[in-house]
Formats: sequence, structure tokens, C-alpha cells
Amino acid sequence: MSNEKIELIEKVLRANKVQEYEIYLTERKAYESIFLKEKVDKERDVSSFDYVLRILNQRGNKTGIGIVKGNSLKPQEIEHNIDTCNKLSKINISSKYFFPSKSPAQKVSTFDKNIIDDPLNIKNDLVKELLSEIQQKNDVTPTFGRFRIHIDNKYLRNSNSIDIETQKTYFFIEFSLKAQQMGKLSEFWPFIFIKDRKQLDFPKRIEKWARLAQDTLKAKLPKPSKDAIVIFSPQVLHDAINPVVELHASGKAFHEKVSQFNMNEEVTSDNISMYDDGLLEGCLAVNGWDGEGTPHQRNAIIKKGSFQQTLLDQKHAILEDTKSTGNGLKSVDGSIINGISNLEISPGNMTLDEMVSNIDQGYFIEAFSDLNPSELTGDFGAEIRNGYYIKNGKIDTPIKLGNVSGNVINMIKNCLYISKEREFFANNLLPYMAFKNLTISS
Amino acid sequence: MSEKSYNEIFSNFEEISNSFNRKNQYFDILYDSFSSIRIEKSPFTEDISVNSKKSGIVARTYTGTWNEIAFDNFSDLKNIKNSLPNVVNKGEEIAEFNGWKFNKEINPKINLNNIPLEEKIEKTRQIQKFLQNYDKRIAIARVLYKETHTTRIFVNNEGCQLRQVIPRVRLWIYPIAKSGVKVEYDYFSEGGEMGFEIFDEVTDDKLVQIADNSIDMLNAKNAPAGRFQLILDPGMAGLIAHESFGHGLEADQVLRGRSYLIDKKNKKVASDICTICDTPSLENQIGSYFFDDEGIKAGKNLLVENGILKNYIYDRTSASVLNGIPQGNGRRESYAHTIHPRMSNTYFEPGDYDLEDMMSEVKEGVMIVKSYFGMEDPLAGGCQCVSKKGYLIRNGEKTQLLKGIALTGYVLKILQNIEAISKDKTDLHGGTCGKGHADLVPVTDGGSYLKIKEALISPG
Repeated sequence: MSNEKIELIEKVLRANKVQEYEIYLTERKAYESIFLKEKVDKERDVSSFDYVLRILNQRGNKTGIGIVKGNSLKPQEIEHNIDTCNKLSKINISSKYFFPSKSPAQKVSTFDKNIIDDPLNIKNDLVKELLSEIQQKNDVTPTFGRFRIHIDNKYLRNSNSIDIETQKTYFFIEFSLKAQQMGKLSEFWPFIFIKDRKQLDFPKRIEKWARLAQDTLKAKLPKPSKDAIVIFSPQVLHDAINPVVELHASGKAFHEKVSQFNMNEEVTSDNISMYDDGLLEGCLAVNGWDGEGTPHQRNAIIKKGSFQQTLLDQKHAILEDTKSTGNGLKSVDGSIINGISNLEISPGNMTLDEMVSNIDQGYFIEAFSDLNPSELTGDFGAEIRNGYYIKNGKIDTPIKLGNVSGNVINMIKNCLYISKEREFFANNLLPYMAFKNLTISS
Repeated sequence: MSEKSYNEIFSNFEEISNSFNRKNQYFDILYDSFSSIRIEKSPFTEDISVNSKKSGIVARTYTGTWNEIAFDNFSDLKNIKNSLPNVVNKGEEIAEFNGWKFNKEINPKINLNNIPLEEKIEKTRQIQKFLQNYDKRIAIARVLYKETHTTRIFVNNEGCQLRQVIPRVRLWIYPIAKSGVKVEYDYFSEGGEMGFEIFDEVTDDKLVQIADNSIDMLNAKNAPAGRFQLILDPGMAGLIAHESFGHGLEADQVLRGRSYLIDKKNKKVASDICTICDTPSLENQIGSYFFDDEGIKAGKNLLVENGILKNYIYDRTSASVLNGIPQGNGRRESYAHTIHPRMSNTYFEPGDYDLEDMMSEVKEGVMIVKSYFGMEDPLAGGCQCVSKKGYLIRNGEKTQLLKGIALTGYVLKILQNIEAISKDKTDLHGGTCGKGHADLVPVTDGGSYLKIKEALISPG
């Protein structure tokens, strides 16, 4: 069906004698159950599609780029969108740009055929499984939750012979588990996109969530410290490291001269190696190609602390007279963002337990309320939602509230330990990491 | 989706709605259409994208639980009757409200549809160029203009036949300043249900001030960590009203047993001088509208009056269960997103104090300005509100400029520690609010200046 949609749009583009164009078409389906306490309160089926047109207008060493998004396939609407896109390409002034041409993309597993074949029944079965697992926990109660299966089909065709498609399945879970004792309340409130069914692992997940909710019931305010050692969970690292490294490793930041990273210089402790890898199976953004149709590849960003490679989309590759590294992400508006596909941090040489045993006095943070660092400066300060003291090499009293503050760019230069264990979190595969010199206030 | 006139849509929707008898079940159907123009200009980038019109339909029924289908192809309308359950005698499961009819398009002072795209782009380029050339320490001047036009058409089996067309414009200006390896910035944003007059406020003097603010940030120091007497600007006051306090008032959290305000109705939750409202019916604000996505007329919700909690924030479901009077807070991001009770324009009413007097009473404290982001904690009432900057206060005077500040603690403690509210006119700031991390809707929050006896801050 979507090929028919693309054909239809391309036919109008050709009839209008458009020379350089790109059609990026997405069809989405979502099947969702929303829970009120432990019962399903709402069932939703959603289907939608849209397409983004990009048209280029070459003017010497500059290019005009028109971008129009729509979801009408009525011929006069397509015609109108092409007119608007053409007009934009004549007004816009961008640096030299051309669409990537066809190159072989690596095959990766992006979907679960069983889900494609029978999404509703699989969703309903998984909902039963999830609820049954939660109901077995006597010490916590759910307050609300959402569970969703997504099926996305993406198609990209350009005037430079690229004609590719991807089908992707993934899950979304949000759940709040509440613990209660003597009038005191606490919760653990995860919110996560999960790529593969095997990663759902409800028994293990619910066990951990319930324990965190229960432990937080006994939480105390953390003691202040100006020079704290803190272990961050993969979830926290996803929020902390991904946005800051994404900006400073980008070709865009280098071109704008705002990156704090310099090629082949030490930008982190020498125990850290980081990769951008759009081919990493199990990560949310896995795909054979990026938002411009460039094949994904594994890019070493940092090796043993040394900055190795800028991440390039097509625009910044052309500016550098080199090739895109597959780091052009399609934004909601249809423009291209120069960013990370999936981020992987290499495992360390000790277990999480060994890391803890190496720390006399410290803090372990499972979740903040919202860790939202400034991508540019790296500064952050966030309230602790679920955490623990570390005392004499052991996990001690739970802590909550209080604030951890620091600077991500400095923090990654002060990494003490990295765990062998790693977890998928959305588009990241990350270990636990311990950092020194952070500030705790309460 | 093929385009139809709104009269055709009303007619199609009514035909479907009539097939669900209100005595048996509640049914509604919403058409949602969204178009936008986004222009981002920096020295090395010019991104211009047009969303020509993305539209879709969502239909739902309540039969003890909700069933909902959403799609973007008009031909799927015929599937609604078969896709949603058809039952008998479930109509009383949810409260009934009077149907009404309404049809309005907001016409701003300078209609955006009458301004050529070229002029919008040129205006954005001019601002960017002015800032870029203002001072060599401005490394990157980034300007983002975004206009959106939202049409919502709503029909239900209680007799509602509603249509609203709302234009919203926002402008963000970020001059990034650089000195050696140090990079910092401040920002300016403006917006509302308005037209091209948004640019009237962006004078050269204003741009100079915006650029100077960013350059000044190069000399900002880290905020101290600890408990301080505080002055909050209207943006930070609004962030507390909305993010830390308001999310716990959303009545779905009460139904879930997940609100720290569950047993606080008609009880004291803030100092006597605090009055807090949520008002979707305010004119020209980013968070305003005439009716919500459940056909409820936008009203004014007095949440806290003189420190006493008076109301929660309801959608149809929670109003029905809790016997509340909904004021139009059942909102969706789009046809593809679900409904929750959501805030609209949330603010502290002005107080009786002069800001100057409030400042003069602070011997050693911190002024927190320029709200940046916050996160809700509806179960526990924790507060995380982060600013872009602040100032040390010594003997009633603003002194050292500070980098971002995180204000944390229990929100009820903070509200009870409010010692003074300035008599300045309510100042509202536009933004986007998520329910948790999803379902984004346009909102504003604000108030006037607050003086807080003591609260915990740290670098943010």
C-alpha cells in the first residue's frame, strides 16, 4: 500500500519536473491498554501516516532546501505541497547539499513478525502477563499504567536512486507502583520504550520496580557533600550522557565551534569508550539507514578516553568534504538533526557489586525526577527520586529528595568505575558508572 | 486525509453519533487538524519546514471502560460503528452534561495567513543578523519562529456541535556567547494566541538586552547549595504552580490514589496570601481555548483560595466519579493521543506587596529568575523546578549573577513558606507540558513575584 502512496507522490513530482527530491513516508500503528489501578480502563487503536517532501534548488555553492509535511493523498493536496516545497527551496539558503546516493546498507533485525501478524492478541496476552506479575506482588499496588505495541513502516525514496523501507516493532511501558505503610507513601514510576520482546522480561522488571518502590518508603534525605562519589544507573546515564555527547560529538557543533571536544584529545577518563551504532540490535533506533538514507555504521566516538570521530550527517559531511557517518536523524518537522543513532558505552572490568564494594562512602542513584542537563554547557542539577547510600562498600539506607548537581562534561573525566553489566534503555546500551566530585545538597 | 468542509464533517459526525444512544452509552468524535510553519535561523543553518495540514479523527465510547479508535483516513469513518462496542443501559455510567453549539475562529490583530512566508523568513533572518553582528562574543545567534493553526471539531451524543480554529505563535531567541572555551547563553521566548504582531515587541533595544543577557552569563557563577530566603520571578512562581503543585491536582491522579492532595480538599495547603487558578478561558494565551477535547466549555478553576484547596482539575471521567464541575481540562495532544485532565493557564493571583519592599527584607538570599523546566511528583509532592539563572541578594540588592538553579523540596512546604506576593500584574509564560514524559499540550504558567521564607536550592 505504501509503495502505492510513494508512487502517487513521485508521479506528481515528476509531472512537475522536480529534479531533486526525497519522499520520506511513515505509517504508524499503535495498540494500547491504559490501566487504572490493576484493571484495564481504556483500549486504544491508532493508525496514522504522513510524508515529508524535501526538494532541492541548487544555486552555485549554495542549496535551497524546501521541506513540507502532509498526510493528504488527494492529488490537488499533493500538488499544493509540491508547490509549497518548490517555493521554499527557492527562498531557503543553505550550505551546499545533495541527497545521498544508493549504497549497500547492512541488514539488521528491526521487527518481530509475530507482532506484525497478530498485534492485538499479542498485546492482550502481554497485558495479562504484566498484570499477573504485578498482582503477585503483595507489598506494592499499581496506581496506573500504559502498555503499547508500536508498528512503524518507514519508506525513503529520493531522486538519487535510494528506494528503501523498514518495518519496526517496539513496546512502550509506563507504570507507577506504589508502596504504603503507616500513612507513608512511595512509588517507582518507570517510563520506557523497549525494542525487543525478550527485553520485556516482566518477572525481573516488576521485581526490581517493586523493590525500588518498597525501599523508597524507608528513604531519608541524603546528607550534603561537596565531593561525592555517585553511581548512576543506565537510565540516569541515558538522560545525562546521551544529549551532551550527542551535541559535542556532532559535526554541527564542530562547524559552529561550540564543541568542548577536540580530536584525539582526552575528553573522558581513560576507562570510557563510547560508540554510536545504528546497527546495534536491541536498541530502539536500530535500522539499516539513517533519516537521509545513508547506511548506518558503527562509529567509535571515544576510545579509552580519547575523542575519535565527529558524527556527521550529509550536510556536515559535505562541508568537511567527506562522507556522512549515518548521523542524520529525521526530526518531527522533517528537517535533519545531526545526532546519535544508538549510544553504546563499553562494559567495565568489575561487577556492580564489586564497584559498590570499592566505595566507602557514596551514593547510588537509580532515578532522578528529571535529569535534563544543558547540552551546551553540561550543567545539571536534579532531584533524587530513588537512590541509596553506599556505606563501607555496601548498599545502605534508601535516599530520596535532595539534589545531585554537576557538569556532565567534567563528570565523564572523573569516572572511577564501570560495571560489566549493561542494560538496554531506549536507544542506549549502558553500564552502571561511578563518578567522583559531584555535589549533593539537601 | 481528504479535505471536507466543516459543515460536511459536522453532518458526517452527527450521523455516526446518532447511532449511539446516550441512554445506552456516551459517545464522542473529534476531528483534529494541525498545520505549522517552522523557521530556524543560525549563522550556519536555515531550516524552514511547512506542515501543510495533518489531520485525523478519534472516536470513543464509554461503557464502563473507554474504547477509542483513531485514524487519519476519512473513509475509515464507516468502520466506527463496528469497531466500538454497542451496548444497552450503560448511559448512566458517566455523568451527562448539557450539549451546546459553538463555532469560532480566532482572528489575531495581524492575521498570519495574510503575511507572505517570505516576510516571516526575512523577519527571522533580520533578528538573527542583528544579534550575530551585535558583539563578537556572540558566537551563535539562533532564532526560532513557529506558528501553528489548530482546528478541532467535536460532536457527541449529548448534542454538542463545536468548532474552534486557534492560531498560536512562538518565538525563541538564543544568542550563545563564547569567551575562550567558555560557552554560555540566556534565552528569550514570547508567544500566544496571536498573529504577526508577535514581532512588535522585538525591538532593537530588546534584542540588545537579550544579547547582553547572554554575554553576562559568561560571568555567572555556580549557585550556592543550601537553604536560603528566596525571591522568585513570575516565571518561577508559575513553574511551581504548574509543575510541582498543579500536576497533583489533576483528578485522574486522585482516582489512581496517586496524589499527595487526595485528602486535602477544603484544607490549608498554602500560606493565607496564596490564590492559585487554572483558567483555559483567558484570552490570547498559548494555553487557552474555547472548549476542551471532550466538549466541555473552558472556564475558570479556582484551585486555591487564600491558602485553602478548593478544586481539582477534572476531565469527564474524574468529574463524574468525584462529583466535580469540569472547567474544560480534558485535553489531547492530537487525535493520535489519549485524553487526560490537563492544566491550561495556571498562575498565582497577584498579592499586595511592592517588589522593592520584598527585596529590601532579604539580608542574604537568592533571586531565581527565568524558569527553564520542572518535573512533577504527584504522589509525593516533591518539587524540582530549574531556572536558567539567578542572583545573590545581599542587603536587599541583587549582586552576583548565578548560573541555573534547581529549587527542590516538598511543594506544600514551599507554598506554606510564601511570605509575600507582589502586586505586579500576572505575567504568563508559554510552554509545553507533558503528562509525565508524553502527551504534550500548550500551556502557560506564571504569577507575580514570590518571597519564600526558606527553601533548598543547588546548582541546576
